[in-house]
Amino acid sequence: MSQEVIRVEDLTLRYEERQKPVLSRLTFSIEEGENMLILGPSGSGKSSLTHCLNGLYPRELDGAMNGEVLVQGQRTDSYPAGEMAQNVGVVFQDPETQFCMITVEDEVAFGLENLNTPHASMVEKVDQALRQVGMEAYKTADISSLSGGQKQKVALACILAMEPEVLILDEPTANLDPVARKEFIQLLKRLKEELSFTLLVIEHKLEGWLDLLERVLIINEKGELAYDGPLHDHLKTYARDIHEMGIQLPYATRTALEQGWTPPYPLHIGDIPPVALPENRPVLSAGKALLEAEAVHWKSILRNINVTFHEGEWMAIVGENGSGKSSFSRILAGIQPPSKGSVAMHGRALKKWKESEMRKEVGYVFQNPEHQFITDTVYDEVAFSLQHAGMKEAEWTRIVEETLKFCRLDGLEDQHPFLLSQGQKRRLSVATMIVENQNMLFLDEPTFGQDEKSTSDLMSLLKEKHENGTTIVMITHDMELVDKYATRVLVMNEGELSFDGQPKELWARPDLGDHHLELPPREQWKRAVLKREEPAYVSS
Amino acid sequence: MFLHDVNPTVKALTIIGAVFLLAFVFDPVTPLLYIVWTVFVTFVFGTFKKRYYVYYFIPFTLFAFGMFWTTVVFSDTSTVTADSVSFLGMEFPTEDIWTAAALGLRVLAFATLSLLFLFTTNMVHFILSLIQQLKLPPKIAYGVLAGYRFLPMLKTEFQQIRAAHRIRGVNRPDSWKEKLLQYQRFAIPLLAGAIRKAERTAIAMESKGFTGAKTRTFYRPMKVQRKDWLFPVMMFGMLGITIAFSVYFGYFSWYDGQL
Repeated sequence: MSQEVIRVEDLTLRYEERQKPVLSRLTFSIEEGENMLILGPSGSGKSSLTHCLNGLYPRELDGAMNGEVLVQGQRTDSYPAGEMAQNVGVVFQDPETQFCMITVEDEVAFGLENLNTPHASMVEKVDQALRQVGMEAYKTADISSLSGGQKQKVALACILAMEPEVLILDEPTANLDPVARKEFIQLLKRLKEELSFTLLVIEHKLEGWLDLLERVLIINEKGELAYDGPLHDHLKTYARDIHEMGIQLPYATRTALEQGWTPPYPLHIGDIPPVALPENRPVLSAGKALLEAEAVHWKSILRNINVTFHEGEWMAIVGENGSGKSSFSRILAGIQPPSKGSVAMHGRALKKWKESEMRKEVGYVFQNPEHQFITDTVYDEVAFSLQHAGMKEAEWTRIVEETLKFCRLDGLEDQHPFLLSQGQKRRLSVATMIVENQNMLFLDEPTFGQDEKSTSDLMSLLKEKHENGTTIVMITHDMELVDKYATRVLVMNEGELSFDGQPKELWARPDLGDHHLELPPREQWKRAVLKREEPAYVSS
Repeated sequence: MFLHDVNPTVKALTIIGAVFLLAFVFDPVTPLLYIVWTVFVTFVFGTFKKRYYVYYFIPFTLFAFGMFWTTVVFSDTSTVTADSVSFLGMEFPTEDIWTAAALGLRVLAFATLSLLFLFTTNMVHFILSLIQQLKLPPKIAYGVLAGYRFLPMLKTEFQQIRAAHRIRGVNRPDSWKEKLLQYQRFAIPLLAGAIRKAERTAIAMESKGFTGAKTRTFYRPMKVQRKDWLFPVMMFGMLGITIAFSVYFGYFSWYDGQL
């Protein structure tokens, strides 16, 4: 019989500043070697639960924690400070902020130093942990020089080095691009085969995790335990409930829901019955030339880019991190002048435009919406540029109210922008950029780090805007978005434009993987179906 | 190279000691000779991009010259002796030039010593050495290290905020008042981000078992070895020789309320 590693009994957690408890009367236990998923809507206290399990609470808690949390049969608050790290290790969501040292090896050693590991075995353990995650080649590298995916691997190595029995991953891939995300999950699968540890994963996106995780714990928005049992069976039947919590289901399950099929729902692309799926073939509406880039160079980052954007297009710019996507879009939007070459809008060079005129034509939504906020209320934020354009008050109040409604921010007028939820912040930053009815809107990774609900809210908003004639240019890593919305896609590779054409032409190319790109799930499914049909076809 | 291997605490204390002693010297010749010596040591026993050294050195030179010039021009003329020299087409009392040069060169001597430390020391090693040799509490030391990591992140964030505000149509500020308002606008997202980052880092550190306790082992043990003492012996020895030289040729003077 396997042994119980964690036991939670009647756990209720309250924060001082809030009336309602974050977690309410949770009872469950976890056995050695289990692979468990923790699901719940945003704000359901999943991360707070992590803090309870690794002993950070009640020590660092401003509030009250009732009930018992036992790790290895011992109450977490009876462990001496710091010793819990040997039992429960956590990898957090944000790759930027979980390190305190400069180089990879120092960071991995940091945890071991805290545990008073003798020097000789520490050196060995650092090497071993880096080998386990496949980062031994970066041992002496600066952490800041690594990509997001590599940083998360290092974060994992830091925890593995301390050899805890329980490994908690708190949305470990939320800030990674799809390819890095896939790699990270693969790595965990391999580690699970090589080492013995209990795995707890908190996630918003289920794609890729299903092969690894067997049991699921669902916490509802009141912080109560809603379900505890096998993951696959539950998902096959209750996928809709999970979807409504804001969890992103795997493509196959999502499609089944969209198509209105009945349970049991398929979980993998291969399980989708071979029926015709709706083709996403965006209408091609090549209007007039709007923005033309000619022989654009920038520092050593961009080299000789020529491209023309037309009215009514929905462009996607894709490519590996560091391939120059953001730099290019900033030059196109006139935020940064190119070092060589020129960009012209409506046939007139950007440098001849007055800044204020240009801003009426082009909007740009930055990756972090907070960076763009300049006033103290949601209302003022949207009204800002109109007030400065010297418009009549009656007119701009009407526009502001319309825009707020359009972006579903009505009712939040007096809130401080920083106090909004992630999705609301993103929609507010879009609102500020469309309020002057700009012709062209740039978005830098608009769905990055957002949950399912805010992603779909945002995309439907953009779709409506596009249908009303706005040209949209989005930088993204998400091939599903490209497949679903883009009419044209640009692939950047080491500062050069390596592809320019329709999405379906891109999917047909054999060298996708070289550009750190993957096929969108719809294409994967199509190919899976073709493969299945092929032998039958030959035999007939 | 040799300078990079010297224990950072020993190096820092040597530099501080040399600066302290030089502060009592009030003639131009001793610091001048010592500057030559320090620069010589830095370039021969250190490896770094020489170009950057020059960049860092320029502001100190300007500051030193400013010090020299203001001392000459605004000196107390009542104590003027008969001797005078001609400089830039103007007549100045020799004694004033002498005092001014002593002040200017002293600034430069401090600068070259600091640059020696800066260009040959790994900041992380320095902090680790402070914990291990001078018993700096880990709570403070690792906090400083985490903050040191944040600096470049804050810089990129600042640039992003500036670009993001520009696109909102916040025009370039014309007056002081507007400029102040603009920095206030920058400060809010920057601070909000920094506080959130700091909190997350603190939680991550604690989750890795960091308690701030003084008993901990070290992945990079910083030890003071016998060869580390060569550096202070060399630096103080040369300071002694320089002073002896100045005394022998009659240039030397202690600080004795000359200003």
